[in-house]
Amino acid sequence: MISKLLATVRKEALLLLRDKVGLSILFIMPMVLIFVMTLIQDAAFSSMNEKGIPVVFVNEDQDSLGFDIRNGLMQNDLVELHDSINGKPATAENIRNAVSQGKFLVGIVVPKNATKAIRNHVASMVDEVMASDSTELAAAKRSADSIQIEILIDPIAKKSFLVSVTSTLREFISEIKTKIMFQEFSAQMNELIPDKTPTPSTAYEQSQFIRYKETYASVSEDKLIPNAVQHNVPAWTIFAMFFISIPLSSSIIKEKGEGAALRLNTMPSPYLLLVNGKIIVYVVVCTIQFYLMMLVGLVFLPMLGLPRLDMGSHYLSTLMLVLATSFAATGYGVMVGTLSKTEHQGAIMGSLSIILLSALGGIWVPSYVMPGVMRTISSYSPLNWSLTGFYELFLRGGGLGKVGPEILKLILFFLGTMSVTSIANRKSRLT
Amino acid sequence: MAMTQNPIIDIQGLTKVFRGNDDPAVNGIDLQIFQNEIFGLLGPNGAGKTTTISMLCGLFPPTSGSVKIYGKDMRNELGTIKKMVGIVPQDIALYPTLNAWENLDFYGHMYGLKGNLLKDKISDWLKKLGLEAAAKRQVGTYSGGMKRRLNLIAGLLHSPKILFLDEPTVGVDVQSRNVIISHLTEVNAKGTTIIYTSHHMEEAEQFCTRVSIIDYGKILTVGTPAELIASVPGADTLEKVFLQLTKRKLRD
Repeated sequence: MISKLLATVRKEALLLLRDKVGLSILFIMPMVLIFVMTLIQDAAFSSMNEKGIPVVFVNEDQDSLGFDIRNGLMQNDLVELHDSINGKPATAENIRNAVSQGKFLVGIVVPKNATKAIRNHVASMVDEVMASDSTELAAAKRSADSIQIEILIDPIAKKSFLVSVTSTLREFISEIKTKIMFQEFSAQMNELIPDKTPTPSTAYEQSQFIRYKETYASVSEDKLIPNAVQHNVPAWTIFAMFFISIPLSSSIIKEKGEGAALRLNTMPSPYLLLVNGKIIVYVVVCTIQFYLMMLVGLVFLPMLGLPRLDMGSHYLSTLMLVLATSFAATGYGVMVGTLSKTEHQGAIMGSLSIILLSALGGIWVPSYVMPGVMRTISSYSPLNWSLTGFYELFLRGGGLGKVGPEILKLILFFLGTMSVTSIANRKSRLT
Repeated sequence: MAMTQNPIIDIQGLTKVFRGNDDPAVNGIDLQIFQNEIFGLLGPNGAGKTTTISMLCGLFPPTSGSVKIYGKDMRNELGTIKKMVGIVPQDIALYPTLNAWENLDFYGHMYGLKGNLLKDKISDWLKKLGLEAAAKRQVGTYSGGMKRRLNLIAGLLHSPKILFLDEPTVGVDVQSRNVIISHLTEVNAKGTTIIYTSHHMEEAEQFCTRVSIIDYGKILTVGTPAELIASVPGADTLEKVFLQLTKRKLRD
């Protein structure tokens, strides 16, 4: 039996080694995919950080609020600030047209007398507090005007982006407004109470006693920092591992079409032995594929200036998850090959189902941003189990205890595909 | 042929109805085949020859009826029967990207052969059928005749007691056909019983010790070529007998 199994493994290995197209699908395509996807996502991410969103700014105020907002935006990495449109100064009149034409993603207009309005507002607040009778109080209330800062957004901007940009700008403008109000209030108080010790210039900064600390919740002692490499390398590697179902199903269908399967069915060797030969070869290929892809993240991507992949410290758990994923992917390929009647059918069934399972599994879009129903469906994709496991190992620093359920699910999936294969093969021989 | 012997293949009421088809592909065949025969199963296209051979090889079960090979019932002892038979299918059942040696090495292992015995058998058969020089060439580069010869070796390598040949000489030149037929005769002389289908009536007449003509899934007649020729008035060749029995109407 061992000699038959070894012969099957040798035959499968030879067939695979001589299938240049199949090999390129298995190794070159996923490597290119990882390079391209990581570079694109990193470039998109970096462009926000390094170059920033193109913003056109009109300062009609020409006072503290306008200048502070302008200076603040100039120093913000998220923003690439412009004061002019086609070489001409940006104005409240031409800014709407420029944003609507897509020349800038965001336009901001700080209106005339905005700082003056804040000062008046503070003054009226002070007057309100200090008013001694109802006539003074009514006069104080009358003098408080509101101001309107206009934020224009390019219609092509996605809603999530719009919310993110406007929230950031609102928060930023609000802080400047508060600062001006604080300073103005301090000045007013100093005027009203001459004996009072003058408010120090750093008083506002000192008043900001609430601080925020944002860190990624990882159980690992090492600081694992999520980035395009940490997310993309495992995700696209899993996609590539499952893409093995195309050359694998193609090899099964070819065997049927070329008559070899017919001869094999007349031989005194069980069908499972022949299938096992394929599974062994393709599981080894999947494992090699995985570590080659990791090599891309460890060696080649850093050469292009991208962050180096961090594979965590649970190497044995990683290997177990890799093997479980490889068995699941191979089992799926064998099932597709057995159920398909023609190579064409197998290629379509294999590629479409893998793209669908990967989309559902969170390879393209993280499952946590999916709607509730889709998130539930996503949790049934074997690619999602694998991805969850690798994120646990690579990002959260978890070990075997954490990825155990994912490994078990993948192995059960493999056994399920083998059962379907066995039933389908038996059924086809009984017709 | 000594008909008093026990048949090595005993077929009773063999019937196959494929799903979705009302007409049976094989319809209640009764047939006995004896040790060392070269038995020809002749018939027009779609007559049921390949279906019969496929059932005898265990590729799929019959809808009804029974098959016993060397006294062993196919339904219960398929594994034992598979070790005793070899098949040379009508389609070339080889891996085109493997070379001849690699193909035979794999199939040999699947029949339980290994080591020097397997190497010697491969080497011997490649030499006999004139493929020794091309042994390391990928089969996809072979001519039709070379593929047919290699296809034959793959079915013979484990020295089966019974060899099923489904049109083994289709599409080959005269030289290849002669080589194939002469080696099959030699194999038969060493004790292998051959069951063979063909459209070449002349070849069947010369090669077979007994033939049956089958049409619409039923056996029309069985006998030695000479007996069949004698049984049909005005016929002096097996082809004329065939045409008389199956009529001249075109088939699939």
